[in-house]
Amino acid sequence: MKIKNNFLFIAFAALFLSACSTSVERLDSQKEVDLSGAWNDTDSQLVAREMVEDSLSRAWITKFVKEEGKDPAVIVGKIRNLSHEHINTNTFIADMERELINSGEVQFVAAAGAREEIREERGDQDLNATEETRKQMGQEYGADYMMQGQINTIIDVDGTTQVRFYQVNLELISIKDNRKVWVGQKKIKKLVKNSKLRE
Amino acid sequence: MQKIFLIIVISLLSACAAQQRETNKLANQLNQQKPQHILEQLQETDPPERDYAQFHLNIGLLQLLSADYPASIESLTQAKKEMAVLAATSISENAAAGTVNETLRSYSGYATDRVMVHNMLALSYLFNDDIDGARVEMLQADIAMKKLASRNSLLGQLTSTHLISAVIYEMLDEQSNALISYKNAESLLKERKLPVPVGLKQALLRLSYAVDRNGQYVSYKKTYSGFPTPTKNSNNQVFSLYFDGIVSNKKQNTIMVPSGNDEQLIRISMPAYPDINHKINRAKIADKNTQLTTELIENLEVSVREDLAKEYPSILLLTTTRAIAKYELVDHANKKDSLFGILVNIVTVLTEVADLRSWNMLPSNIQFAYLETKDSELIVESLNKAQQKISLNNGSKNLLLISSLDTPVFHYQQ
Repeated sequence: MKIKNNFLFIAFAALFLSACSTSVERLDSQKEVDLSGAWNDTDSQLVAREMVEDSLSRAWITKFVKEEGKDPAVIVGKIRNLSHEHINTNTFIADMERELINSGEVQFVAAAGAREEIREERGDQDLNATEETRKQMGQEYGADYMMQGQINTIIDVDGTTQVRFYQVNLELISIKDNRKVWVGQKKIKKLVKNSKLRE
Repeated sequence: MQKIFLIIVISLLSACAAQQRETNKLANQLNQQKPQHILEQLQETDPPERDYAQFHLNIGLLQLLSADYPASIESLTQAKKEMAVLAATSISENAAAGTVNETLRSYSGYATDRVMVHNMLALSYLFNDDIDGARVEMLQADIAMKKLASRNSLLGQLTSTHLISAVIYEMLDEQSNALISYKNAESLLKERKLPVPVGLKQALLRLSYAVDRNGQYVSYKKTYSGFPTPTKNSNNQVFSLYFDGIVSNKKQNTIMVPSGNDEQLIRISMPAYPDINHKINRAKIADKNTQLTTELIENLEVSVREDLAKEYPSILLLTTTRAIAKYELVDHANKKDSLFGILVNIVTVLTEVADLRSWNMLPSNIQFAYLETKDSELIVESLNKAQQKISLNNGSKNLLLISSLDTPVFHYQQ
């Protein structure tokens, strides 16, 4: 009887301790997981995909190709975070860039930070690379349009319930003459209910 | 076996009380020692998990005052998350608080803490050259205040939060948002029957002139006469915040009475704040022609007392429940064995301690001043400290954080 009790005790203790240990499960990056209701990778990917799809389906692109005889070159500029959350806009910009490049309908130009690094490399090549492999300065592909935008939120709170309303505004501006050729908007609404009780 | 258990309980609970005394002692030493030194001492302590929010609040504030902004952001964000999780009521912790003492409840932060944490985070982000991060914190502070708002109370409604928000908006050229926040600050000061500082009057005139020259400006011009018409210029703008002193610690009020049948001792302990005896000091900011003194915008001595007053009914209820539970426990033990009953009575008396936890390293009050100057250098003077020179770039917008503690002047410039 005593042995049985001890065994039960050990089994219970093991179960209890295993409940406290850290567990890790690998998830598909496409799978939607929303733990807190805050802006997350799913929102970022979803908004980027839908907005790029929308922008590339509008008249400005066909008009540009018809007039210029080439695909437009686009650059993603600053996406300002005006929301209530500390959102890493770099991941959103990366999502936008990926969607734009993979669309195959626009040329894509590296952002300002990356360009600086490449210019440094060209400067270095100027001194150290062979004549045949050296890339010259002044051959950069100038962008035709810059995409800029904002992430805004409106939060309505009542006790432990929140409605989080995200609005992403993006616009495509012609670098030549500051014309806005496309304005896009994507809205996400989330209802977040927090428990009034905890353990 | 039972006696050993009782001894363990007493020693564990006395360790909790000792931790709190140590934190209070360190808070008191802040007036004499550098925040960096106090930070090192506090980091060496090992608080129980239920005090982590209080620990991280104090650590984060000291890191800000030690100019370690990334660490301050990390600690204060941690505290913010802990307070958010702990905002829900814990059944098990309340049961423990209702039977042993209040310190067995996790520290979930008072209303002032929940808003003030955003102020400190915003300042940390700002001095870390991330004004967008500071803006996010002020939006979160606004939500926190809305959650706490009630018709008959100013609990958790902080003028300093509206004012810091307004300064950040003004630095970002969001004039309309800045005006709204300045107006909210003015309205709270009036509700608290505090005079509106000159810097705030100037801000209301400046922003209303920019946003609504023929409407709101005319109205403010009547209310706050004697100021020149705001003009667009390239002067340096200097917003100054002054952290004066250290907020009071709570103290324990205890009464001990024999029970009606004289068979046991009953002890009741409640937290309380001492009378406010902090003399408000001011900082001085001067250019070549003008000298300004900072003016009160937030008396945290009042706010923390309001926080405790709000909690008093539930503390009283739990204290009474606990006294009854402990009485029953001793009575039950007495019936079994009188010696054991005495021992249990000693334990119930020794474990009856008030919850003295608070964010006790906050300033006693916060003050504000605004200066517009063509000069490229300012002189800042605060309590018992040598004058400090501040360099300004031409046409810059600046935020200075001055403290009465042994710290340099923190300067954000854009």
